[in-house]
Amino acid sequence: MKPVDRRAFLRRVALASAATAGSNLVGTVAYAESPLPPDDWQQDLIWKRTPCRLCGVGCGLLVRVENGRAVAVKGDPDSPVGKGLACVKGYHSVQALYGRDRVTSAMVRRGGALVEVPLGEALDLVAKKLRETTRQYGKDSVAVYGSAQWTISDAYVASKLFKGALGTNNVETSTRLYAASAMAGLQSTFGLDGSVGCYEDIEHADVFVLWDTNLAETDPVLFSRMLDRKRASPAVRIIDLSTRTTRTSYAADRSLLFVPHTGLAIANAICQEIVARDWVDREFVDQHVAFKRGKTDIGYGVDDDALVVDDATDADWDAYVAFLGAYTPERAQQVSGLRAPTIRWLASLYGDRSLKVMSVWGTNVNQDVRGTWMNNLLYNIHLLVGKVASPGNSAFGITGQPSGGSAVHDAGTLTNTLPRGVVQNSEDRERAAEIWGVPVDNIDPRPARPALSMFRALDRGDIRFMWIQATNPMVSLPDLKRYRAAAARPDRFIVVSEAYPTPTTDVADVVLPAAMWLERDGVFANVERRMQRLDRMVAPPGDAKSDAWLMIEVARRLGFSQLFPPKEGHLVEEVWQEYSRFHPEPQTALPPLTALRTRPGLMWPYVEGRETKWRYSTEYDPAADGARGAFDFYGHADGRARIMLRPYQPPVESPDSEYPFWLGTGVVLEHWGAGSMTQRIPTLHRSVPHAYVEMNADDASALGIRHGETVRLVSRRGSLELEARINYRAQPTRGQVFVPSFDEGLLVNQLTIDAFCPLSGQPASSTSAVRVERISRRSGR
Amino acid sequence: MRSRQSSVTGPLLSVFLIGSAATAGAAVVVELKDATVSLGAQRERAEVAIPAPPAAPIAAEADVFRTRLDMVAIDPLADPQRGAIQRTTHRYRVLRAYPGAPPSIPHGFTGDEFRTGSCKTCHERGGYSPRFNAYVPLTPHPEMGTCLQCHVGNDELTGVSLPNTDPNTICRQCHPPNAVRRVETTLDWVPMAWPQLSSKTPDRPPPPIPHDLEFRGNCLACHSGPGSLRTIRTPHPERASCRQCHVAPDAGVGAFTRPVPDTGDGAGGTS
Repeated sequence: MKPVDRRAFLRRVALASAATAGSNLVGTVAYAESPLPPDDWQQDLIWKRTPCRLCGVGCGLLVRVENGRAVAVKGDPDSPVGKGLACVKGYHSVQALYGRDRVTSAMVRRGGALVEVPLGEALDLVAKKLRETTRQYGKDSVAVYGSAQWTISDAYVASKLFKGALGTNNVETSTRLYAASAMAGLQSTFGLDGSVGCYEDIEHADVFVLWDTNLAETDPVLFSRMLDRKRASPAVRIIDLSTRTTRTSYAADRSLLFVPHTGLAIANAICQEIVARDWVDREFVDQHVAFKRGKTDIGYGVDDDALVVDDATDADWDAYVAFLGAYTPERAQQVSGLRAPTIRWLASLYGDRSLKVMSVWGTNVNQDVRGTWMNNLLYNIHLLVGKVASPGNSAFGITGQPSGGSAVHDAGTLTNTLPRGVVQNSEDRERAAEIWGVPVDNIDPRPARPALSMFRALDRGDIRFMWIQATNPMVSLPDLKRYRAAAARPDRFIVVSEAYPTPTTDVADVVLPAAMWLERDGVFANVERRMQRLDRMVAPPGDAKSDAWLMIEVARRLGFSQLFPPKEGHLVEEVWQEYSRFHPEPQTALPPLTALRTRPGLMWPYVEGRETKWRYSTEYDPAADGARGAFDFYGHADGRARIMLRPYQPPVESPDSEYPFWLGTGVVLEHWGAGSMTQRIPTLHRSVPHAYVEMNADDASALGIRHGETVRLVSRRGSLELEARINYRAQPTRGQVFVPSFDEGLLVNQLTIDAFCPLSGQPASSTSAVRVERISRRSGR
Repeated sequence: MRSRQSSVTGPLLSVFLIGSAATAGAAVVVELKDATVSLGAQRERAEVAIPAPPAAPIAAEADVFRTRLDMVAIDPLADPQRGAIQRTTHRYRVLRAYPGAPPSIPHGFTGDEFRTGSCKTCHERGGYSPRFNAYVPLTPHPEMGTCLQCHVGNDELTGVSLPNTDPNTICRQCHPPNAVRRVETTLDWVPMAWPQLSSKTPDRPPPPIPHDLEFRGNCLACHSGPGSLRTIRTPHPERASCRQCHVAPDAGVGAFTRPVPDTGDGAGGTS
């Protein structure tokens, strides 16, 4: 260890944080006998505020920076999200910057291998390929595929370059894989994306119903808030309604198990019971709800361009009651395995006027061929009993990426969206063209294909150039072999902006070094609509630059420099100002960047210095019109939220004699996303070093499989050998297995099906069918 | 005979001293409310508004009397079990990615312990553990519910059933094969410096607190008892009011400087 002189030592151990002054955090100092001058205390020794980037919750962190490097982390007690707490990922998050194999310079594939080149040379090549491809194959032969790990400015620049300048709607994000059904659900029920309530609902609710989400591992800090709530008010109940027994189940008051994909039947049966018992809030329904019937013959998204427009038609109360007639709790029990009396009991909790109920769900609900429907049905329950948009009454869908809160503020990075509105709408196109400073004809009125179809187009050859940023599709796409083969085809040019070598850089023709969180400025918008500013606090290594800046450098080479900020230093400010022009109205208004610097995040809509906690409530939301009563669901022109008539339909693939197990995929607490960051963090890696398959103990003993043994999972799409874990962290129900999806060494998505919800385009990666084959007993344990 | 005043403050103080932070705060409010009601009855005629105590305990003060001897199941002054394995500073640091990081779990635990996080069975009260031939370190925040949210273990030891007398397994409790050396090559990580420990000369002034108190407000949990790290163990655990002598200064503040006196003629005054 390098020796330090006393002065340097004092500086290091001292805590100098204006940010925490006045809070209950106390500073630290070690035995200073004579204090140093104030300026000296501050020098290169700071705790800086940032949102965590390792899930969608957005906990506030304080990062300690010394000598230009992040050296420690603690929870930010001023953060209204984490309130001083983080999880083990957050506490170790800064280590993700310092992997020894960080991509620090550009690389170009030559003779099959990636070779380091100067950044300018790589950018020249990207621009040249982009120009050549559009000339040869047309403007829709190029695409950009990003993620909600983009900051808002990265997303905005990508949308503007591709949709505004190049004129193609091939702009898509991996949000489609994780949250598209949540967005489509909000869009159809409320007419507008973005959560209705906020995390503060947790501190008001009396009952939490967790719909197939292992919240203790997926969103640990939110789950801690629920446990805190329960500790403060022991009458509060947490109900874990799930397809496997997890850490969440053990902490819950009641654990209820059901068959995967059958939530549709359970939710409708709960509504049926609420209607039958006359627990409906008739006043709320009469005043604020309209009934709609969507299409039911929508398929399973297995064809190339299978997205379906819903075209909902009017229905009414009587039609809804007749529709619900098919969903008695007994019928739902037959499908779901959840006992009818239990369904009735759940309905009684929702129906009890004295209880505030918060329903929470996540990726498992969304990653389903009927994900949009399920979101609608969960809102239906809350709308029937009037338990929405007020403190503690909340139907809350959670998504997993740091800026994945909503498409409203993803700056127009889905294939049909603009920074405001959709490409099909001429008014929205005109607004975008005017603000962007491009001819309106540049913006194509036809939406492009959603994520999977975009990769299918790459397979067919309709798309020849793809720039992938801030995501790792060669781990996260379902039916992975198909899309890896597509990317590897000759005459496909793949550019990847990345911080680490990944399975996606393995198929890249050019790799550009990406600056990470803490190394660049930006804004993330979390699940509760909270905009949080991240500031550059350390320098990126080598040639690494932010995704937005790399794209602007290419735009400049294509002759579009006048459309983008000329200097990297002011990029975020200038983009924010321009982007804010899209959202002047109180429904979606953004907080100014300066306000974000002084506050630990602000929830949009941000109107006249106030954030909005509960949208559509005339008490809390300045955009809501009081003339419409206590609520104004202004997303729809008639001011009413929708109760959608959505039936139960079986999934595209169910277990059969050949493939008798459901395969579930998901997360473990220690890892996030495709694992390229968390697998490099020693504490996290040691805890969960590789993927495994979790089995039910009875299934395992029936097959003669013991804990620790290696087994082979086989689906219609591929096979994978994994270590079996029985009675380990969680236990699936019989007939089900579970594999974490973080491990690039054991790619479970080689097995999953690439069907998707035809309304949202979100793949159904969480429900596929597999069989389990015994190989050999594992030795050495 | 005890005065009326002391009959009010007596129970209050004892609540402070024995309660944990959360419960103490709540109990204080209750007691204060009762006290104000009776005092208020006397004051009613004076038509003065009855002052109300804050609804929640003052956050910055919540931990001050957090430290409690009764948390340490065994007398912290008693001689430890002979031959018990002592924690070392090196080991203490190896388990933490940086000073203040949540320590990772060095030992194996069973599937049931893993799923339910029953860590507090041992780590809330402490004591001698024959399983490890060591005294159990205490958690300074037993009120936190989900230990495994911040503290994670080592996969190679997960599911190793305990207690186990096999000497090889005992070694692996703390020295798992391969794990440490293999992964540390993946990172180029320099944590912040560890606080230097003061020499224990008797005439030294009480050292200030060199770390944050967030989640670590209960001093005795880590600074007393045979399960604690010897180099940071206090010689006087019986003094419950640690922060009477050991302070946690705000390091952002420099030296005191005298404000310029206001001469009253507009020429001086504080700026």
